[in-house]
Amino acid sequence: MITVNGDKKEWEEGLTVRRLLDREHFSFRLISVWVNDSLVDKPFYASFAIPDGAEVQIIHNICGG
Amino acid sequence: MKEMKLLTEWAYEPSKIHHGYSRKTLYVGLGNKDQKYSFAQKDVSDDMIDKFTGGRGFGLKLLWDAVKDTTKWNDPENEIVIAGGPFCGITQYPGTGKCYSVFLSPETKQTYNSNAGGYFAPFLKFAGFDAMELQGIADRPVVIFIDGDNNRIQIFESTAEDINAYAVSEELHAYFAKDEADKRTISVVTSGEAARTAWIAGMNFSFYDVHRKAVRLKQAGRGGGGTVLYHKNVVALVIKRTHFTSNENDVVDLETIRKAGVSIHKRIHDQDDYQSKMRTVGTAHLDEIMNDYHLLPIHNYKFGNSPEAVKIRSDEYKKLFTQGTADGCWYGCSLACAKAVDHFVLQYGPWKGREVIVDGPEYETAAGLGPNIGIFDPRWTIEANFYADHYGLDTISLGTGTAWLCECYELGLINKENTCGLDLSFGNKDDIMEHIQRVARGANDFSIACGKGVEYAREYFAEHYGSDLETMKKIGMVCQGLEASEYRCQESMAQWGGYFLTLKGPQHDEAWLIFMDMVNKQLPTNKDKAEALFFFPNFRLWFSLQGLCKLPWNDIEPADNGVRYKGLQAAKVPEHLGNYLNIFTAITGKPLDEAGMILQSEKVYNFERVFNLRMGKGTSKYHVAPDRGLGPVFPDEWMARPDYFDGKLKEFGVNIEGMSTKDKVALLQKYRRAQWEELKLAVYHRRGWNKNGIPTLATVKRLGIDYPDVVALLKKHLKPEDEFEPEEEPAKA
Amino acid sequence: MQVNAEKCVECKQCMTACSTAWFKEDSPELSRVKIDVKASYVNINICSQCGACIGICPTEAIHRDANGVVQIDKSKCTSCLMCVGFCPQASMLFSTQEGKQTEPFKCIACGICARKCPTGALQLINVPDAKK
Repeated sequence: MITVNGDKKEWEEGLTVRRLLDREHFSFRLISVWVNDSLVDKPFYASFAIPDGAEVQIIHNICGG
Repeated sequence: MKEMKLLTEWAYEPSKIHHGYSRKTLYVGLGNKDQKYSFAQKDVSDDMIDKFTGGRGFGLKLLWDAVKDTTKWNDPENEIVIAGGPFCGITQYPGTGKCYSVFLSPETKQTYNSNAGGYFAPFLKFAGFDAMELQGIADRPVVIFIDGDNNRIQIFESTAEDINAYAVSEELHAYFAKDEADKRTISVVTSGEAARTAWIAGMNFSFYDVHRKAVRLKQAGRGGGGTVLYHKNVVALVIKRTHFTSNENDVVDLETIRKAGVSIHKRIHDQDDYQSKMRTVGTAHLDEIMNDYHLLPIHNYKFGNSPEAVKIRSDEYKKLFTQGTADGCWYGCSLACAKAVDHFVLQYGPWKGREVIVDGPEYETAAGLGPNIGIFDPRWTIEANFYADHYGLDTISLGTGTAWLCECYELGLINKENTCGLDLSFGNKDDIMEHIQRVARGANDFSIACGKGVEYAREYFAEHYGSDLETMKKIGMVCQGLEASEYRCQESMAQWGGYFLTLKGPQHDEAWLIFMDMVNKQLPTNKDKAEALFFFPNFRLWFSLQGLCKLPWNDIEPADNGVRYKGLQAAKVPEHLGNYLNIFTAITGKPLDEAGMILQSEKVYNFERVFNLRMGKGTSKYHVAPDRGLGPVFPDEWMARPDYFDGKLKEFGVNIEGMSTKDKVALLQKYRRAQWEELKLAVYHRRGWNKNGIPTLATVKRLGIDYPDVVALLKKHLKPEDEFEPEEEPAKA
Repeated sequence: MQVNAEKCVECKQCMTACSTAWFKEDSPELSRVKIDVKASYVNINICSQCGACIGICPTEAIHRDANGVVQIDKSKCTSCLMCVGFCPQASMLFSTQEGKQTEPFKCIACGICARKCPTGALQLINVPDAKK
């Protein structure tokens, strides 16, 4: 299990940031992603593997046109 | 257009702008159908600048002085006040062409303030006026011409045969321009024929697109400003200003502004395609994002996500929007979100077969005149957008109102006899388009009732058709007389406040907190939510005092914004906030920090609240959240996300074993309504109001808006039993 | 302008000539050609007349003349500086000095810099079919 913004979510083998974003349908682009308090830069979303038990923060900026 | 007869004219000595202000406002009085026109150039005092700053602030102040406690929206004393602000007319930084129109609203029966981009406000300012008041009612249809080249105001008897926006705007650009190239020196404010009977008519603000060689329209859409304009017998306001320099605002420090402008132009060039895609699809980029987060309003906000939404993805709109043109609504806007569809052939209505340019759609229209009424067809939405603009109908109120009508129809609350033969089921494109045409024309009693908004229509349906009022209230996304804009707020408690604890009604320009609350979980307690519902309305509304569009603040951000800043700091986009504070100082010479910015806003925010009170509103009983705004109303909504909603009920410690869906729906509503009442009190307390939502004497005194008439009004309404208990800790400022 | 940066000897006479001709003062900021000395090579930044700025301008103040040179019509320019931010090569320039023109400026292939260049690193050429 991992937590995403405090909510418990399933972990899976090979879970990358990109896979997690797609799974949660987090399609908003003005975001920053932190795994266990370390920032993951956008170019590494597809390659960064999230470990089991990780605390993930996916912080969305304000929206609303 | 036939030559217009000049009825009166008035010359003035133009005031030069100094450090962002001309220190003069224009008053145009139309009399009371008695040809007693009057004009004045009024001074702007230091106190007015200190307390009201500009824009919406000036509008509220001038309207307060103009009306009586008993003034109604269609009385001659009501005004439309249009004001830009100190930033208005800057050419070097994006989003500096905005103005606010302030008036007593036919829908809300209190003040409304509606923003529009474009050229009108900068030209008004360059003509020498920080604001313009329009009061009275003319005795015949008139066109008011503000001749910023020759320093005079002229009122003509209108000869326009078609008063709908695209027709009359094109005619007036041609009428007042010397030649083709001169058309860009003109801006026209119009409504349309819908304003004759509808209360949801807005105002169109034109600018001339030199690339397309055609008129484009921006809208001050909401609140019924177009209805007020029409009822003053004003067909159009026209302004002309040919020459202006790159420093017409006579700023203190132009270089700071230029450097900030170039840096954000470059950022938009480099980042926009990877962020909000404003330059290619405008605000319609939100369609698929809102669907992914269950925020897209579908079938009158019943649902938030649908596989059909793929048909209205921004990629689909991108195919229809012309790419690669300079689509900024005032000079210097590199965000250029004013997208248009060119060579669009209309399929319906009196202009069927004609090829037109359609301005938009913006996200609100794409959602409201789209999935909210069960239609997932960009071309249909574009056509509905065109006619709404042309007739002067606010696309948000039209969309949300029609969505409510469709649900009423499907529930059997109204039938085909009531609708005069229209099948208003969700998704019925032909009949809904015909409905829009009939609302615009005021074709029959049903259409006229619909055009007056949901709160009027439901009373009408209850009285005339026997429709069940309670059900209509539960499903109507409306508050304080105004229809909600196109975001599903159900699953974000903070956004209940962002919609239903606002000054003017559920328009999202005070606070959009859904991601911060529902996704980021950054507002876990009522105290956190209350703090956000104090801070962000004041933050957002600061733009309305300045002449600024908010999109360049946070719809583009530095690539490292989320790296350098965390939490709420990142949400403020500190680098851009810093730009605005620096530019304010560069224009006016006055230092400004974040605390000062919030204070500027707080003064106007609370003054507007007091103004609501003066007009007989402005208390807790008008801050009502409809059931549909708090969660599912019917079992089918629950069953669209059963695990999610079961989980939500379990969070209240409920054992849902064996419960029927109907009972679960009712129970969640009950718990959430209790939460709503608690939230309301927490927010009132944080804002320095009493339990009845009225600003306290201490608050107005702290803000320096304790004018004698304000204090007298408050003393009539403030009651000791409504006071909050004094806190043990000192209250935060 | 034809550029051959390897020939540049960093004398910067081109910059002096340009800013003196157009702004009556020897100022690197006011030169439309920039000699940018890196650790191991020289970069000469000068407008390539690509025309990317033409579509950006909201008043159609930027156009390509009969010789293929991209020109700014100052009478139409509102000094919004969007062209500066959008130039793909950072060759559209503006002055940050108070009192100087507010409109942006760029190389218009007048050839003054080429005449001053001692090595032929900058040359004025006619490219009749280029960029049309």
